[in-house]
Amino acid sequence: MEQLRRGFARVGYICEENTVLTVYLALVLQKPLLVEGAPGVGKTELGKALAQVLNTELIRLQCYEGLDETKALYEWNYQRQLLRLQIDRSAEVEVAEEDLFSPRYLLERPLLKAIRSDKRPVLLIDEVDKCDPEFEAFLFEVLSDFQVSIPEIGTVTARTVPAVVLTSNSERELSDGLKRRCLYLYLDFPPPEEEIKIIKAKVPGVEERLAWEIARVVEYLRRQEQLRKKPSIAETLDWARALVALKHRSLDGGLVDNTLNLLLKRRQDQLYFRREIGPRGLDKVLRQGRAGGDAGAP
Amino acid sequence: MLPSPREEELFLRQMVAFAGQLRAAGVEVGTAELLDCLQALQHLSLARRDHFKGALGATLAKSARNREIFDLLFERFFDPLQAREQQTKRLEQQEKLIKQLEEAGEALQFKGEPLQLSDDEKIWYASLPEEGKAGLQRFLKATEEGKKVEASFRPLLETVVRGQLRYWRSRADAPAGEGGAGSKLGAPGLRHLDLKDIREADLPAVEELIARLARQVSSQLVRRQRRLSGAGAVDFRRTLRHNLQFGGCLFKIKYRRKQPRRQQLLFLGDVSASMSRYSTMILQFIYGLQTSVKNLELFVFSDNLEHLTPRLRQGGDPGQIVEQLVRRSKTWGGGTNIASALSTLAGEYASLLNMRTTIIVVSDTRTVTLARALEALDRVKTRVKRILWLNPLPFSEWSCYASVKAFAQRVEMWPCHTLAQLEKIVAGRLLQKNVSGKEVGNEQAYCPGR
Repeated sequence: MEQLRRGFARVGYICEENTVLTVYLALVLQKPLLVEGAPGVGKTELGKALAQVLNTELIRLQCYEGLDETKALYEWNYQRQLLRLQIDRSAEVEVAEEDLFSPRYLLERPLLKAIRSDKRPVLLIDEVDKCDPEFEAFLFEVLSDFQVSIPEIGTVTARTVPAVVLTSNSERELSDGLKRRCLYLYLDFPPPEEEIKIIKAKVPGVEERLAWEIARVVEYLRRQEQLRKKPSIAETLDWARALVALKHRSLDGGLVDNTLNLLLKRRQDQLYFRREIGPRGLDKVLRQGRAGGDAGAP
Repeated sequence: MLPSPREEELFLRQMVAFAGQLRAAGVEVGTAELLDCLQALQHLSLARRDHFKGALGATLAKSARNREIFDLLFERFFDPLQAREQQTKRLEQQEKLIKQLEEAGEALQFKGEPLQLSDDEKIWYASLPEEGKAGLQRFLKATEEGKKVEASFRPLLETVVRGQLRYWRSRADAPAGEGGAGSKLGAPGLRHLDLKDIREADLPAVEELIARLARQVSSQLVRRQRRLSGAGAVDFRRTLRHNLQFGGCLFKIKYRRKQPRRQQLLFLGDVSASMSRYSTMILQFIYGLQTSVKNLELFVFSDNLEHLTPRLRQGGDPGQIVEQLVRRSKTWGGGTNIASALSTLAGEYASLLNMRTTIIVVSDTRTVTLARALEALDRVKTRVKRILWLNPLPFSEWSCYASVKAFAQRVEMWPCHTLAQLEKIVAGRLLQKNVSGKEVGNEQAYCPGR
């Protein structure tokens, strides 16, 4: 587990102890890991970071409505098969059916690719809540046995059990069957001290003071129940990069107000901010944080 | 040092007992989860409490809602000191409650007999300010000493006392309501709380929850409609173009996609005094479904009907608009006349009623001129696809009201007083699935006419 913790730190994925623990358990128990949480808390990033830590290939399956087996598992390469038929016909050679349905003519999609990998890959099944329930049922069959049946070839069993990370934005409740096969991790927004570390790791050139102020403002905004879309980590980082690019070394309410579009992306949320908090409100928050000796306060 | 077999046995029993507690609290923990959990613990040192908790959480609680329940139960189960403190607090609260009930029973009497009030009402009385209690006592005394006071006055008196208690309670709820029973509840708690018991302090969280539930149900509806719409006729143009790559050999047939036939929803919410809270919240939920329905028309009624849709089209935050609209509505908080509302709907808004329209009515069925209301309902029913009636009255009380029986014989009626029930009913019924009584809170739908 210590190795995993160090690995995440090495690749710049700052996370809490519980995240490391759950990923570790998923790896040793060889179980898929289901990660849920608000958009932008770093669910997909966890899969990418894990691939870097394990120094292995990341195979990504992006789920969407209408996704089916042919796009997720395998498909026959019809064009190639047809070409072969045409060539053989003009050469007056009879082609055997089993030749046409051999692995040469198989188009591997992410699931099959993960199963047939020689080195244990990380299979990232992103936004699994967006796929149809039928596909979800098919998915948990694959994930329980790590083998698939191709009628023309036979059963393909995984050479190594892939490390599977499934992410969900909770757009719909996932089936009990899928959940039963997975370990579960809920990612929440990080506390300010963690967020400062993330900002410093991901935004080169950001000063200590600015990182603290950004984390403090974002944390304050996330606490506002009235905001419909709370700023995510990705938005925080974009904002920090923008402030560094504009050569700012510290924050004040006016600057937040001017760059609000990067942080709050709903008109109603922006109006709420200007009406209820405003630049002065934020100045007060920053002053209080400094006076109160918050974690990492400059 | 390895644990002895006896210690292992005890530990196992404790884990099984914990899983049992989770199940009792509604978390779906099966044997498979428990086995995973025990397997996970073998890879960890049990000396670290955070690791122990993390492993249990990852294997036993697999949704955000279950995670909240898990966190609560874990502390209670594995921290005996805290559990004991909580138990002491609970016992103290129970004793206080019993005392309050006794006090209210003694104080609220008419001609030496206690009034027939529910335990909730007695507790409200006990928590009244002194002026409130004194006022009620004065009223009861004055009635008792009045001329020609008969025993038959009792039901009337009880109704008046209940009304007074509600008034005081609504006053107590009006300010932020900090520290109130509902104010600390998380989303899972709010989903199962009776809508009328939601405090002002919880309203923003409830609105957020309503919007989220509506989004979820809405996306389910769209998916279902797409699936049902299936493939249409062969699209020759696209088929030929696609198959040119195979030398003109018709390898893959392309079909036209049928346009999904979206439902038309018409919401009819009773905003009389007792129903306003339910109607407002259910209306917000239904408004959130607009992306998945073709036409959404919103009406509120009490003594007459008011069309809200035109004002909603002006834009802005739906939650606030609905709240303002309902409060400004001319019919807000009046008496209930279902007959008049339905007749106006059938007359002035006849164009909105067709065989693709589903009407969702939110009302406790209590109305003036019941016979006329039933006739009007029969007339409307023949002109629409279906009528779904959501009744916030607890199912156990339905048999007490002739109006409930009469309406339920004509339309599909469901008990609906929590957001969890609302979500299940709307998703289930609009998706044409059967929602069992168990699913909507151990209460069967009362549809004797079906």
